[in-house]
Amino acid sequence: MIQEIAVGLLTSGVAVEGSSRLIVDIAMYFGLFVIVAMALNFQYGNAGIPNMGCAVQVIIGGFTVSAITVRLILTLAGNAGVDVLPWRSDYDWVYNSPRNVDIVNSWLSGEPLFGISMLLFTLAVSLILGAIIGWLISLPAIRLRATYLMIVLITMADASQIFGRNVVWISGGTLGIFVPDIFKWYPGDRTIVMAIITLLIGLVSFFIFRTMLNSPYGRLMRAIRENEVTVGSVGKNVVGIRRNILMFASGITAISGSMLAFYFSYVVEANYQRALWTYWPWLMLILGGPGNNAGTFLGCALVIAMRRIIIVQKWFLQKVFFFPVAYFEQILLGVLLVAVIIFRPNGLIPEKLLYVPGVNYSKLVKERVEVDWRAAPRTRGSSSGIKGIASLLSGGKKEEEEE
Amino acid sequence: MLVPAIWIAALTYASELTLLSMGFTLTYLTAKVPNFAHGTYAGIGIYVSYTFSKILGFSPYLGFPLSFIIGGLISILIYLLVIGVLQRLGGGAIVLTISTLAIQIFLAGATNIYAFWLRAKYNTYAQLFLLKDADFKVGGFPGIFIVSVGLTSACVLVLHYMLTRTRIGIAMRATAEDSELASVLGININQIQIFSWFLTGGMACLAGSMIPMWFMSTPTTGAAMITPIMAGSLLGGFENVYGAVIGGIVVGVSEIMLTTWGSALLGSWVGEYRPLVPMLFLVAVLLIEPRGLQGAWERMVASDTGQSILKSLGLLKEGPVT
Repeated sequence: MIQEIAVGLLTSGVAVEGSSRLIVDIAMYFGLFVIVAMALNFQYGNAGIPNMGCAVQVIIGGFTVSAITVRLILTLAGNAGVDVLPWRSDYDWVYNSPRNVDIVNSWLSGEPLFGISMLLFTLAVSLILGAIIGWLISLPAIRLRATYLMIVLITMADASQIFGRNVVWISGGTLGIFVPDIFKWYPGDRTIVMAIITLLIGLVSFFIFRTMLNSPYGRLMRAIRENEVTVGSVGKNVVGIRRNILMFASGITAISGSMLAFYFSYVVEANYQRALWTYWPWLMLILGGPGNNAGTFLGCALVIAMRRIIIVQKWFLQKVFFFPVAYFEQILLGVLLVAVIIFRPNGLIPEKLLYVPGVNYSKLVKERVEVDWRAAPRTRGSSSGIKGIASLLSGGKKEEEEE
Repeated sequence: MLVPAIWIAALTYASELTLLSMGFTLTYLTAKVPNFAHGTYAGIGIYVSYTFSKILGFSPYLGFPLSFIIGGLISILIYLLVIGVLQRLGGGAIVLTISTLAIQIFLAGATNIYAFWLRAKYNTYAQLFLLKDADFKVGGFPGIFIVSVGLTSACVLVLHYMLTRTRIGIAMRATAEDSELASVLGININQIQIFSWFLTGGMACLAGSMIPMWFMSTPTTGAAMITPIMAGSLLGGFENVYGAVIGGIVVGVSEIMLTTWGSALLGSWVGEYRPLVPMLFLVAVLLIEPRGLQGAWERMVASDTGQSILKSLGLLKEGPVT
């Protein structure tokens, strides 16, 4: 039956409505946020970099679409003989944006190859730009204490929004820029294609992250999280590894912003608020369990389902409340974060030991390794020998009192 | 008028920011947590002023003591319900910071809801307001200029006296230095923490209740203050209350004056980038000297050329430097 529904959805020539619309929406948002949350898990859960600037990287993805892809499409369409309205000055860029999109869309409906190549181009560019932003972020902050890093990243998220609001040629300032529909050639509802592509990107990045984590590099990452001094003393370049991780994860995060821009067919800085793209992914990460991709998936699914249900049931909630539902969500977010941190520190699915071929942990480690990420930046009980190595690999925190 | 209006604005803002930066630094010293909710306390203070002025019909100045107490109580509640619990569970710096962010989101939501409640109940527009009309004038100066500068100076002096002369202040410093050693000496750490959270929350709320007397205020004004607060605190060295005083004044004055001069020189578009000034301070301090003015001072005292300069200025006493 599910297959029939899926086939029906994919082949129907009309826009999806009602509950199927909600399913597509949830799938799309799940795909977008799972990319961000998994990258965050890669950075914080496994390497111990508290990236509070996911919003910066996501907004870079959005700006890539508006400032580069849209310009490229308009230029190429103009070269192909389409009568696009003038768009080169700031005024025309914003004022002619909706009409230009209409004109270009009718041309794009006959150009499937062009649309797909534009999508691939955008993904590649946002990956590179995201990595560059990750490198820029790492410059002042990566040698600093975790607290300073968080402060800098949070302010950077605000700064990028200020630039997006005031520099018109990036994303049209407060009015925003419309994005041509690169899936115009598709006969059915394009949101379904978008959702499937986003989920696929999420799946691919999941496998990449998993492979990296189960490789020697992943064990190095966890070792840095546990005790960077030890890792530095055996000749590993801690700062360099951290920078690489930040760059890679930033690139992946930026893709999410690009997909959001294509999904909305519209880019405006207000869509990339710090609260939405930093605090909600953090809640997903902490709820699901840091250091664990399965937990991230679960946390993401739960949070997205909750938020979407709140938004869909808005008409009912609005009757009860005298204030906009957005503030109720804020209260909920704050309470949930604190409650999860206090009552369920390991998340819904606790962190597991890393897989190392040929090593049987249960023989090595006799005691049960307790994982409590709440004590993360402290130097943990560093014992010598196999115990110490095992705790390094697993992220285990052994209490001093136990010994 | 002797002093141009823009300087009055700059000094008023700087004194409010100093009060906030001082409290932020004090929290960081005693609880070892950068309190991201510190700016949001100011947002609560803004609405205490609004309630006193527009709803109850008094002068907003009458609300200042109440605002101090409300801010202190909220701060104590946060300590008892969240921060204290997490510290007892062994929470590290990152998890404490995340929890303060969660508190910030919660308090910002609550402030917004209160503003909407005022609209629903009293039919007033509490989303964007200015209480300049309720102010008085003394000799050409607006009252808030004198009150804010005076109150901040008084707070600095009282805090200095308390930290150096009174038992509780010395106990606070001992807790900040090494809480375990302090508790061995018979200091009740928990009470000291509660007292310090009350003090910082109260000071922040007091500073917040002064904001709408001169500046346009919205429910998010307080939350947006956190960047200048942290810039001021970081410029002062992050672990030094006196440094935070200097940092707050420098960041506050330069935020307003740089934007004003920039607008005059380059055009009005500079005004939009006002929030970038404290961010520039943050990044510059972190790149040049992460320990701020305190670190710069210590470096100067440690170097030979710095010592000779200080001696020629008469700032350094003769004798061994520790």
